[in-house]
Amino acid sequence: MIPLLIDCDPGHDDSMAILYAARHFELRGLTTVFGNSIVENTTRNALKICELAGLDIPVAGGIGAPLVGSFAPSMIHGASGLDGADLPEPKRRPVDLHAVTMIIEAAKKAEGELVLAAIGPLTNVAVALRTEPRLARWLKCITIMGGSLDIGNAAPYAEANILKDPEAAAAVFSSDAEIYLAGLNFTRQAILDRSHAEMLRQAGGAVPETVAGMLDFYLGRNEARYGKPISPMHDPSAFVPFVRPDLVEHKPFHIQVELASPLLRGMTVADQRNVTRRPDEPEPPRANVKAGIRMDGPAATRHVIETIASYGRG
Amino acid sequence: MTRYIIDCDPGHDDAMAILYAAKHLDVVGLTTVAGNSSLENSTRNALAICTLAGLRLPVAPGLGRALIEPPLDGAYVHGITGIDGADLPAPGYDPLDRHAVDFIIETAKAAPGELSLIAIGPLSNVALALRLEPRLAGWLKSIAIMGGSTTSGNRTPYAEFNIVCDPEAAAIVFGAGVPLSMVGLNVTRQVGIAERHIARLREGGGRVSAVMADLLAFYLAKMQERYGTPTAAMHDPCAVIPLVKPGLITFQPLPVHIELGEGPLRGMTACDSRPMRRDHDQPGASRPANCDVAVAVDGEACVDAVIDTILGYDRP
Repeated sequence: MIPLLIDCDPGHDDSMAILYAARHFELRGLTTVFGNSIVENTTRNALKICELAGLDIPVAGGIGAPLVGSFAPSMIHGASGLDGADLPEPKRRPVDLHAVTMIIEAAKKAEGELVLAAIGPLTNVAVALRTEPRLARWLKCITIMGGSLDIGNAAPYAEANILKDPEAAAAVFSSDAEIYLAGLNFTRQAILDRSHAEMLRQAGGAVPETVAGMLDFYLGRNEARYGKPISPMHDPSAFVPFVRPDLVEHKPFHIQVELASPLLRGMTVADQRNVTRRPDEPEPPRANVKAGIRMDGPAATRHVIETIASYGRG
Repeated sequence: MTRYIIDCDPGHDDAMAILYAAKHLDVVGLTTVAGNSSLENSTRNALAICTLAGLRLPVAPGLGRALIEPPLDGAYVHGITGIDGADLPAPGYDPLDRHAVDFIIETAKAAPGELSLIAIGPLSNVALALRLEPRLAGWLKSIAIMGGSTTSGNRTPYAEFNIVCDPEAAAIVFGAGVPLSMVGLNVTRQVGIAERHIARLREGGGRVSAVMADLLAFYLAKMQERYGTPTAAMHDPCAVIPLVKPGLITFQPLPVHIELGEGPLRGMTACDSRPMRRDHDQPGASRPANCDVAVAVDGEACVDAVIDTILGYDRP
């Protein structure tokens, strides 16, 4: 199994992603960052998920604010960052190690084999890459849930994870790491609805029932906000390509992050038609990201829900 | 009845738009602007196209450069004359001795509420007219724009040529409060001129159709060379088609912002295509819609409508 470290901000879809990934990868730990909630909450939520699923892995708390500017938590995940899941206070404690250190050490130890998944703002990852310049080489790759090749969510063109720390995203995209991107254009192809919550409830057991509750909460929020009880399967979509490559298609792009424009800040700018390649101009810049462009959504959501259902009553 | 001025920079697809509009709408004149080529070329080409088709529309020359942006050159698509590829006749009449901006203002003032603009080049003339005569925004019935994109661009990854030629002018027009419609690359790319359309014009046998066939053959070859696609996007007529055949292009009211920053997104028409977020006090909420943006098209029907119209010039 592929060794994996997840940098996350749980978060409902983070929780699903962690539970899904733990069954398909050799999960070596979680590092937390601000994002769906303040970092104190995301760390506590990560511990709760581990406790719920009996995952005996280290959790390291990380950075609580973006590189530039400040952080104002949104309420889409509720006050705790994980409302709707009635999980007890965790008995486990975070390890006495900073998230950034854990990322660097895990990558070094895995000798080129570690996949780093980043499903929150990219602050920890950016700081790790800049602190240890060899990290980009030590990692097998970074798989990111963030950005979009078309429409945004938190802003007309910007996705929330990138928008929460655009400078960190720019640092990561300009590193030499191999990067896979699950942007909104990709995650919107996999739609979760109430039938998935029902499937989990049918399976029974603490993990599936808890995830069903989270899904109910999240779908209800989306219904109140956008009018429909559906949600793209954001964070798990960063992992599916490694488990079921048959369900997805990726394409290389040169992607930059817009930092200046007030309206477009946080946009992942991709030259999708290679229009910069003209006889009178230099070659287009090297592709730095393999971005998901197509996914068999129904098959991918079924596969993820079945994995979580497999925790069953055990 | 609504009257129209076409503000243009002919241009192969401008020529099609002019011929198409003149057959179906009350076009009272053309104003020219630098864009695909220099102002001198745009003006001469406008006169030459009208001469070819026996139209004798008044042509008022306008701005030879953008407000701020240094001139871009569209020769890589349209050739050095701005309309290479055919033997156009020499202009059979002179341009008006009046500036495009004055022509727009005076025509609008003469019958407030009855004039609409069809803007298929950079928006420099339209923007200056709006700033020179603040009442113009209230006098104009509407402005139909070919420009921008809800998706990717052509001159740069996100910016379309007409808008990126003069982004500040576009920002003025999109902020003017005049009812606006915008047909951008996301739609015009689905309206493809193919070899078979050129063959239809040649089979028509007349002079106008034959010259247009030569022009389109040049344009198609340039586009194939540049993009490797089997068809060439019929950009400019798409601003006119909805005024003649309202069903062929579908519009959606959207908030459109013109990006003016110096970065790689300069000239982008940033359209907020998300489901409308009406929580206006929240960060990330949608702004009010300021433009009807084209989002879907029956491409084949659009090309056929224009080709049929051009063939009509050669029938007695």
